[in-house]
Amino acid sequence: MAEPEADLSKKYDAVIIGSGAAGGMAAHVLTTHGLEVLMLEAGKKLDIEQELRSMEWPYDNSHRGGLPPGSHSLNHNEYTIRRPPFGAGFEKSKNLYSYVGSTDYTKNIVVNERENPYTGTNYAWVRARCLGGKTNIWGRLALRLSDYDFKAKDRDGFGENWPISYSDIAPYYDKVDLYLGITGVKENLPYLPDSIFQRPTKLNCTEVTLKQGIQKMGRVLTQYRAGVTTDGLKHNKYRSRCYGRGACERKGGCDIHAAFDSPTGLIYPAMDTGNLTLRTNSTVREITVDPVTGKASGVHFTDSQTMKDYTVHAKVVIVAASTLESARLLLLSKSRLYPNGLANSSGHVGHNFCEHIMGPYVAGQATDLVGKPTTLDDGRPGGFYLTRFRNLAEKHPNFIRGYGFEGGSGSGMFPPGTDSPGFGASFKEEIRKNQGSYIAMGAFGEVLARYENFVDLDPVVKDKWGIPALRFHYKFGENEHNMAKDMKETAQEMFEAAGLKIIYVSDRVLTEGWSIHELGTARMGNDPKTSVLNQFQQSHDVKNLFVVDGSAFVNASCQNPTWTIMALCWRSCDYLADQLAKNEL
Amino acid sequence: MRGKMSAKDPVDLKQDRRQWLKASATALGAAVLPLALPLSETRAAESQGAPAPVAGRPAAGSAEAKSGARFFTPAQHTLVEELSETIIPADSRSGGAKAARVADYIEQTVGETTDDQRKALWREGLRLVESMSQHYNGKSFVESSTEEKIAVIKVLSDNAELTEIPEVQFFHELKRLTVRGYYTSKIGIHDDLEYKGNRILQEFVGCDDPTPGT
Repeated sequence: MAEPEADLSKKYDAVIIGSGAAGGMAAHVLTTHGLEVLMLEAGKKLDIEQELRSMEWPYDNSHRGGLPPGSHSLNHNEYTIRRPPFGAGFEKSKNLYSYVGSTDYTKNIVVNERENPYTGTNYAWVRARCLGGKTNIWGRLALRLSDYDFKAKDRDGFGENWPISYSDIAPYYDKVDLYLGITGVKENLPYLPDSIFQRPTKLNCTEVTLKQGIQKMGRVLTQYRAGVTTDGLKHNKYRSRCYGRGACERKGGCDIHAAFDSPTGLIYPAMDTGNLTLRTNSTVREITVDPVTGKASGVHFTDSQTMKDYTVHAKVVIVAASTLESARLLLLSKSRLYPNGLANSSGHVGHNFCEHIMGPYVAGQATDLVGKPTTLDDGRPGGFYLTRFRNLAEKHPNFIRGYGFEGGSGSGMFPPGTDSPGFGASFKEEIRKNQGSYIAMGAFGEVLARYENFVDLDPVVKDKWGIPALRFHYKFGENEHNMAKDMKETAQEMFEAAGLKIIYVSDRVLTEGWSIHELGTARMGNDPKTSVLNQFQQSHDVKNLFVVDGSAFVNASCQNPTWTIMALCWRSCDYLADQLAKNEL
Repeated sequence: MRGKMSAKDPVDLKQDRRQWLKASATALGAAVLPLALPLSETRAAESQGAPAPVAGRPAAGSAEAKSGARFFTPAQHTLVEELSETIIPADSRSGGAKAARVADYIEQTVGETTDDQRKALWREGLRLVESMSQHYNGKSFVESSTEEKIAVIKVLSDNAELTEIPEVQFFHELKRLTVRGYYTSKIGIHDDLEYKGNRILQEFVGCDDPTPGT
């Protein structure tokens, strides 16, 4: 895999801004079509093998896997009592990270909050500026959306329908499944379509207990549908199949890349075509516009390290910087022709911002497993997923849309239950005896896409590179809070139905942003007055501009977005290549 | 006063602590003052310099034994060893916190923290526990029998909800760091929990699911 020097004097077919799930997928599809592509990533190219260290024992790490002195990661309490920009009050910490940067394995993947300020309402904004972005540390739950999501307005009247149906995107979900690998079990659920799954891993006994306990309620628990290759991928030499080695809970990714990440899954193979040029440390400040044609002409960027400014030209500009950064970049790209920012004649850029609400959870115990030999539960690609059941056949009186639960159970490298009371010989024995018997699950629910939830540019605060910071105007609403109450009640009722001993149940809602599933700031639609992009993620205003990440979502659904981001992006890039070949862009 | 007690006796922590706080004049000050010391005071305490290395302590080298700058005096280090062993003792299955060198982990963590309040909590906590030991057992914590040590820590564990009391705060901090140090050590992971991960797993055993269709 050779990394060519970026030639900034020539005009590329396409320039891609961002290297995460969306940017990586755009690079894969467009280079396969033979286009000459330049990818710009704002962060560094990490030596990812050194960062991930999936097999390191905690006692071989100088801080047992924790942060070294002088570094701090924000916790829930701090996100609650402080307001962004974060920094004041943490003067002793040279490096200040989001909550995800709380370990030695994640700290270099997320940004230093001091260099990347934002303002406005409280929000836990997790950003990974490095090659591959957040795919280096993602949770791997890879779910499809269905027409229950794409046509949700038809069901409850709220918001807008997507300009596509499931049948439009289904072939692309299939392509993503086959190209990247996914493990799971077919369930034939109309609201959660199956993927083309590789070898599944069995549930453990606690999970089977819960699965059977809720069956009589008509609810479904299935294996965690993980974006992990369990059979291997013959076409990809950078990724190994999963060997169930354990310690997957260590958020720092997978060093054999059985779990999908954008660099090994998409970018390295794209470079092998000879059609992709990569430039890291390239912070794009503005998408440039040809004042005569009104089309995008390229980008203006700053080298993040040397602070030198550059311009590069391309026939097509592809924005894949992540939902919030993409909106920020469009708003930053103001010109005489586009005084409200690029692709923003509708005024909807930054608006309809949505995500998943999370926090409510239940923790319990299968008491019949106490004292039984443990299995290597944390060696599986994931635990379980308990699928949505609200507002499918019946209407809930207090809220619309739905939620699902992500859960796990059993033993791990660090034992569960260490916060139980007491000390001494009995405490030690309890931890040992109980370690395989715990089970917990937390809910992820749809936050409604509302125009009044939005981001714009802060008029004063700028980041390290002098670029105006993003300002949040975003709060969970009544529908979300009603849903959160229901999450707690149903979590409890299902554990009870399964005969699990409940240890703790909570309806505490985590700070906005905690799910790291921000979506919808440049939504698709058929009407240019109320949407930013068409069904191919192409700007209504500027036809050679595409925004291919989560910002294109019309609603958040309650399913995790990564697989849909990639399927949509693949579809859009096929269209893009076709249009470019026909000289239509 | 020799208030020898067994762990079975009911304890009124708020009442009792007046007595051990009386035992030393400096302790009284600490009980009245909030734990957050003025910066100047803490810096002065830190500038007294690192205590000399002690023979018999594990040499720096392996990550497990590494303990950065010395934060505890030799006597304090021994006290932390005994306290951590009381939280997680050796038993027939595995070694305890002492064998797992948890005191070294705690010393590194507390020594390196930039949180002065946390450092102060450890200095104060160790002194207060020592006063408690004199109060309940009439001797230092280190010299006490296992049962006597348990009796002192039980007073704090039984009152774990009284988190406004510095001794209780110290108990939570001691327990938290002991647990983390122990279960990230070789003894904790391999001997005690017999963790089977971090190696290739041919097939996850799992559970046979009698549900039709799976």
